[in-house]
Amino acid sequence: MTESAVVSATITGWKSAGEPEPAAEILAQLAVKTLRSAGLRPADIDAIISTTSAMPFDHPSFLSTPAQHLAHRVAGKIGTHGIVSMNVSGACASAAAAFAIADSMIKAGRFKKVLVLGYDNSPRGFYYSFASYLDTDTMIGYPLKVVGAVNPTYWAMWARRRAYETGKSIEDIKELMATIKATLSQYGALNPYARYRKVFTVQDVLASPVVDDPLHLYMISAVSRGGGAVLITDMETARGLTDKPVKIAASTAGSPMYGEPSPRLTYFTTAGGKNAKPPFAEWRKPIEDAYRMAGITAEDIDIMEVHDTSAFHVINWIDQAMGWEREETDKLIRSGETRRNGKLPINLSGGTSSFGEAVYAQALMMIYELLLQLRGQAGERQAKKDLKTGMLTAYGAYGSYGTIILEKAW
Amino acid sequence: MRGLSSSKKMIPIVEGLFEWPSESPRLIASRCPLCGSVQFPKSSVCNNPDCTHDATPEEIKLSEEGILYSYDIHMYDLREPFSYHKAPYAIGAIELPEGIIILARLTRYEGLKIGMRMRLKIDRLYEDDENVYLTYFFEPVEDGGEEK
Ligand SMILES: [Zn+2]
Repeated sequence: MTESAVVSATITGWKSAGEPEPAAEILAQLAVKTLRSAGLRPADIDAIISTTSAMPFDHPSFLSTPAQHLAHRVAGKIGTHGIVSMNVSGACASAAAAFAIADSMIKAGRFKKVLVLGYDNSPRGFYYSFASYLDTDTMIGYPLKVVGAVNPTYWAMWARRRAYETGKSIEDIKELMATIKATLSQYGALNPYARYRKVFTVQDVLASPVVDDPLHLYMISAVSRGGGAVLITDMETARGLTDKPVKIAASTAGSPMYGEPSPRLTYFTTAGGKNAKPPFAEWRKPIEDAYRMAGITAEDIDIMEVHDTSAFHVINWIDQAMGWEREETDKLIRSGETRRNGKLPINLSGGTSSFGEAVYAQALMMIYELLLQLRGQAGERQAKKDLKTGMLTAYGAYGSYGTIILEKAW
Repeated sequence: MRGLSSSKKMIPIVEGLFEWPSESPRLIASRCPLCGSVQFPKSSVCNNPDCTHDATPEEIKLSEEGILYSYDIHMYDLREPFSYHKAPYAIGAIELPEGIIILARLTRYEGLKIGMRMRLKIDRLYEDDENVYLTYFFEPVEDGGEEK
């Protein structure tokens, strides 16, 4: 198998969602900037893999057609000699899926230089999924209509269940989640690309309105717009283009797992009956696959960027990625060990918590941050430890997951 | 359904999730005759990856009692077209004897406890000039207490 590497990456600043803007034009600018920083022209690349983009809630076709074809639109704008262009969806894990496909194409030896793009401009307000007008599937989307379940409903239930299973009070997990938000806000304040730069205290977070008990408003990330571009190549090519190639040690994707007992976002029900697996098995699987692919264990991870649609997600990602007693996660967070001077820095970008969520593009913002961190270019946010291996985890509706492990290769 | 009457027409918010009209409506699910996998809402295709999928799942009715696995207390009104879900209200995850966990509106949002016994209740969700729209709720069983 051919070794692959990240050569360069760019992102836009994340901004408020729901204002029209020329998505393909913005992505085309990012694409050119990413290629030029590696000294390449559009003619030099072999393929473009892009995510699709936002879902206008009031659009009868559910996904508008232009939003489904960003790869081709960008190819037309930057000019190519008819290269492979593909569009990928996987809800909030879309960009991780696009990256995994591009990585597989290079590892298979079929392509040498692939550009991965992602963009999103989500509708305003709390994100929720509901049934399409033409594609009816009572399993998906209907929980909102029938039982009033929104996305934070699921996160609130997970958080409450974790408190119950670990014998903690609701106040305890609320305080833990508020601690996470307060910590991440300090890094968001230092990131010029983040949408939110305000520093919050634990008290500020707990004073914000309760939206889905136990989640307060400031524990939930806002929908946003933004985009990113990442150039990946085979390792030999990468070494010719940069003196700091970052090896793609693993890229995996995941989907609904039969037997997962935790209520899955946008679904009515769990599946698998009496053969139920331990909770969040489907969160762990792409991570375990990635560890195997990279030939490492959890202990080798120096830094993480985790998809924190809510503060609970940070807790759950640490639980699942580390595979230890959940009490260890609580201790890690409360002792400040997830900060930049800690033993496992997490979301030094400020996270989705500070960026807001540009759903389809989110993983590219995380790749960008890991690239900066591994190359020692994160400035005031730079982790204060030697970094070799970074991991990002993505998670989204419908049971979509992705894990990427990046390693210093110089 | 006893105790639920109106001069308006009473219709389920979505067809096919529970029996209606019925004196004692139950949730409609499906079970694979080969592997026994249960699905709610019902499906025409088995969802067990290790099953041969050589038979079509059969319709079954789910148990009316389950255990509260977790819950959310939702604190703001939803926007149109779902503004009939008026806050505050609770959504619970109910673990049924069939082994699946399903989401449901709960009849109340106070005094809830994980592990409580809960019972199905088809009830009014909202009404307009012509119809009363029904959905399925779960409510704590009287002196239900904690599951042993
Ligand atoms: Zn079967």
